[in-house]
Amino acid sequence: MRTPVRRLPSSTIRKLEGTLFFTPWIVGFLLFMVFPLGYSFYMSFHQVQILATGISFQYKGFYYYKYILFENADLLYNQLIPFLRQAVLMLPIIVVFSLFTAIILNQNFWGRTFFRAVFFLPVIFTTGQVITEFITQGEGNLDFLERYNLSSLVVTYLPPSWASPIVAVLSSFVLVLWYSGVQILIFLAGRQTISPSVYEAARIDGANPWEVFWKITLPAMLPFVLLNLIYTTVDLFTYPGNPILTQVNTTDYGRSSALAWIYFAIIFVFLGIIFFLFTRFFRGVKPAGR
Amino acid sequence: MSKPLINPARFRAGRPPFRAWLKKTRYLLLGKEADKGLLFRVMIYLILIDTAYIYLNPLFYMITSMVKNSADLLDPSVRWIPREIFTGTLTDAWIHVRFPQAFTISLLLSTSVALLQTLSCAVAGYALARLDIPFKSFWFFCLLLTFVVPPQVIILPNLIAASQIFHVMKTYYPIIVPALFGHGLKGALFVIIYRQFFSTQPKELEEAARMDGAGVLRVFTRVMLPLARPAILVVFLFSFVWTWNDYYTPGMYMGGSKSLPLSLGITQISAQLAAQAGESGPSLFDEPIKMAGAFLIILPPLVLYLFAQRWFIEGVERTGLVE
Repeated sequence: MRTPVRRLPSSTIRKLEGTLFFTPWIVGFLLFMVFPLGYSFYMSFHQVQILATGISFQYKGFYYYKYILFENADLLYNQLIPFLRQAVLMLPIIVVFSLFTAIILNQNFWGRTFFRAVFFLPVIFTTGQVITEFITQGEGNLDFLERYNLSSLVVTYLPPSWASPIVAVLSSFVLVLWYSGVQILIFLAGRQTISPSVYEAARIDGANPWEVFWKITLPAMLPFVLLNLIYTTVDLFTYPGNPILTQVNTTDYGRSSALAWIYFAIIFVFLGIIFFLFTRFFRGVKPAGR
Repeated sequence: MSKPLINPARFRAGRPPFRAWLKKTRYLLLGKEADKGLLFRVMIYLILIDTAYIYLNPLFYMITSMVKNSADLLDPSVRWIPREIFTGTLTDAWIHVRFPQAFTISLLLSTSVALLQTLSCAVAGYALARLDIPFKSFWFFCLLLTFVVPPQVIILPNLIAASQIFHVMKTYYPIIVPALFGHGLKGALFVIIYRQFFSTQPKELEEAARMDGAGVLRVFTRVMLPLARPAILVVFLFSFVWTWNDYYTPGMYMGGSKSLPLSLGITQISAQLAAQAGESGPSLFDEPIKMAGAFLIILPPLVLYLFAQRWFIEGVERTGLVE
């Protein structure tokens, strides 16, 4: 008789298998995320000079952070504050528009495939450069907004700090809507998770379409609304054409790194606020019949 | 059977034929359900057609402005439809962006990144969804973190690493290699998509294959991957199109190189136009040429999308992109 081969317990084998599968990602994570993050954090405290012989670091402490946050408004605040205002305006527009479009596109009607294709089209070509071209061409505005001179109305009646971002959003309104391709898809996918029997039950109980939307569709879509808020925020904030990010360049590694880190912190705070407000407002709302 | 002498319907109280007719009309107009009525249909089509028009407006503008000749460009009465189709602008843009070469580069780059990401993200997503990994929730948190970190935060160290350590500036390695490990442009999102997809698949399939003595690798390649066709399609298309359109990363790594991908076409055109404007002043064709360049950039993914969009959107719905 052969001596039994010593085997590892099956749970350990499973763990090994899983780790083996996941190792490439972890290696990539260390190489392309942890290392650059740490390195850029390190650089943000140093003056970096790239010499022919190598890289030299000179410790500067919090100098760059102080400089960006307290001394020079050009670098951060002058770009950031209008951008944040615009983002606050754009977020609800994008999310509401995509929710609305997704619900309509979910109906069964003739030509649905065509309209789905149309509304998803911008994802294919929302390359930053093409969009920037459109914005400089003034091709993102809506004709009727111009006809009723809405922008000048906004300028007259609102404080200038808010008027300019509103005008900016209005004048590129179509392009704002263009950011909703992926969001529409997420909502479409989310809508599929609501079972038809819930709608049937509501109909038997005599609910009208309005009630059905507010009592069934919307509560069930709430997780997707949150997801889309997060996705849209990340998308807007990491968009290469974004004014702050163009300042992260190779002219001054230390300063750019500090700016990138400050910006990253702002994104985190912004996401945190969204998360907090969202859970605050919708704590009581529970999706029905799931 | 003989006919009853008295028709009972006539004596039924409270239901005059008028009411029934009203109800019928109401059903026809509003529908028994919200989305079935005629009125609602008309509304939906109105909204959809209007929004679609607004949506596509910049695209129409792009196409019409690039086929206008100088007379049409100057004539304010020609807004949308040019008097004749002028292909000179398009030809100019074609030469400016060096289309055949740039197209080939973009195609090779996007295809290789998309293929690598499709595979490597599937492996990572499958592991996260289905396998035992120590500290799994920690890794999942790392994944979400990766999703939120702006590429600009990590670009500078990557640039230094590429130029000082690996000496791969002006090559495509810095763009392709991260994709091999399931990272790269929006790699985290793709891993999340796969994770969602695999976690919705029935457990029994996997168990049955395991009973038959298949190892993890076999289960993954023979059972799970073939099932994941919708997810694969979605990830591949997204990855391809986003890599195609991305100009930030190539712009950073490829600066000064001769062989640039198509996405940098507008930058090239702008630079050349600026140089020209310095010599002979701005030209009437500056904007149309940029529009034509933009058109050349988006045309290939547009054609791809035209063929794939049906499976694509169905695929997204079926992946259960989220929960």
